[in-house]
Order: sequence, then structure tokens, then C-alpha cells
Amino acid sequence: MIAVAIDESADDVRPWVDGITMPVLLDREHLLTEVFAISNVPAVVWIDEAGRIARPTAVAFGSDMFKDFTGVGAGPHLDAVRRWVREGVVDIDTDTARNAVPDLADDEVLARLHFRIGTAARRDGNDTTARTHLERAVELAPDDLTIWRAAMPLLGEDPFGEPFFAKFQAWQERGSPFHGLDAMTGRDAQEGV
Amino acid sequence: MATVTVIADDVTTVEARIDGERVLIDPAALPAAIGWTLKPEGLCRDDVCVPVRDRTTLLVDGQVDLVAAAAALHRPVVVDTVDPVHPYVAVALPAEERRRALRELEAPEFTLPDLDGTPHSLSEWRGRKRLLQAFSSW
Repeated sequence: MIAVAIDESADDVRPWVDGITMPVLLDREHLLTEVFAISNVPAVVWIDEAGRIARPTAVAFGSDMFKDFTGVGAGPHLDAVRRWVREGVVDIDTDTARNAVPDLADDEVLARLHFRIGTAARRDGNDTTARTHLERAVELAPDDLTIWRAAMPLLGEDPFGEPFFAKFQAWQERGSPFHGLDAMTGRDAQEGV
Repeated sequence: MATVTVIADDVTTVEARIDGERVLIDPAALPAAIGWTLKPEGLCRDDVCVPVRDRTTLLVDGQVDLVAAAAALHRPVVVDTVDPVHPYVAVALPAEERRRALRELEAPEFTLPDLDGTPHSLSEWRGRKRLLQAFSSW
């Protein structure tokens, strides 16, 4: 397990990883969301021993903490991970895997660049420049939560508050667009993860 | 002269002369800024060279335009020269690299710091199954 925090600072991440022993990396520039075309979190990618993508970007939760909100439990994915680790079985075929992740649109790439300038300017204390670029990033990628939701705390908004829920609902009404596989559903996992 | 923040493979700063949307730097500073070197055969990194058809788009009075260099490498770029003292340039990966990785199912190599700042690359864990999980505090 390699966890990558798409976050602005290590201090933002530490409360979430207290006591966790697996590697936790910090991705301030959202590099991972560019190289794997990731547009929301939590997202998982399975990578095999040889460095091949065994199962491309998918929605998957580590626990049932958000199950009531998202309707997605952690169990089916965790069961599938166990089968992959123990038996080498992947639940989708190669053709499905190849076509599972649409490439980023040009505007979604530009949004990442504006986002990076925004966060760099914010660190430099150039607040006007920061705001201009963060707002432009959000305009360019309205379906990408790694842009618009990640920008909320940087623009002084609450990413768990009412403005988030309103935007989230609008995103759901557009069909919850996501670059990758939907979350696995099915029976809940057995106990003893 | 201005100190430009360049956000490409890394975040660096480089001294530059701003001319409209052009960000003109010493060719010797190009490798540190975007990881490529200007040579007679083109823009080069390791054994790979990208030919540059029209060098006049790239070179102005012996200085290289960072924005044109990124474009020659097919890397999308955003420039902010509104503040002439502190401009910003952000350079994306070549889109084709990502498309190929998604199509060929080859996990792209990346290097990121852990929470203490120590860099780690995906290939460190080669030979093992890896479950990569992107998460966030927001």
C-alpha cells in the first residue's frame, strides 16, 4: 500500500495518518492526478510486480466512514484486493482496463497548471495572483474534484460545508463524471480486514 | 530581470527577462528549469532529442524562451507575467506520455516526498504488488 495525499501541506495530512505504517507521500503539485488522470479521491490503482497497471483508476474507500453519504462501502473492493494478492485474479479484462480511464481534457490539464501557479503564489504570499489562478482552475475543470474541491480551503471555503454539498449535488446531477472505474458494489466484506 | 517560479518536474526559480508572453532565460538554466538541454540537434534529455525546426522561435538574442521550449516539447504551459517582478510558469507533462501509459497500462514512474520530505519513487517497490491510494484532507 502506498498512500498519496493530494494536499497542500504535511500538517494537513498528519491527523489522517496517525499510527499508519505504510508509506504516505505528499503530492502538493497534484502530479499523480496528472500522470494517472485522477479526478476525485479516494482513488485506487493496482500496479503489479512488473510495473503494469493491473487495474486502473477506480473509486474505492478504505473504510465505511462515508458509506451513508456515498452509498459505497469498502468491502467489495477490499475482497477484490485480497483475491488479487492471494490468487493473482483481477476482476476486469485487459480491454476493459485499457478503456477505463478517459484521458484528461485539454482544459483539465490547463486547470492543473493554473492550480499549481495558484498554490505556488499562495505560498509566496501573492494572494491576488493565487486567487486568480485557483478560480481559473475551478472554471476550467468543473467536474474534477481534485481541482474544485481541493481549491476550496485555499480560497477560504469549507470543503465540508454547504457550498461543497451544493456543488457536489450539481456534479452528481451531471452523472458524477469521473476518470476511471466506478466503485465496486456487492455484498459487504467479511470481518477482519 | 525577474525571478520566475517555474513549476514543471520540480518547482524551481530562474532569472529571466520578460518580453510580453516570452520568458527568456540563459540556455544554461534550461535543464534545471524543465529538465531538457538545448543542443545543436534539438532539445535533449538523456539519449532522447526532440528536433527544433525553427530555432528562431526558441532563441532571442542568445536567450531561450521557456514558453516556446515547452511548446516544442508538446508540453502544455501556463504563463503569468502580470507581476513583472514575480512571474510564474507552469509546464505540464507531454499529453502523449499519459495517453500511452493509460493505453498500454504501463504505470508511469513518479517521485514524491513523504511527510518528512524524503523522496520516494514508485519503482522503489518494484517486484511487489502495489496498491496506490490517492486521498486527501479535503
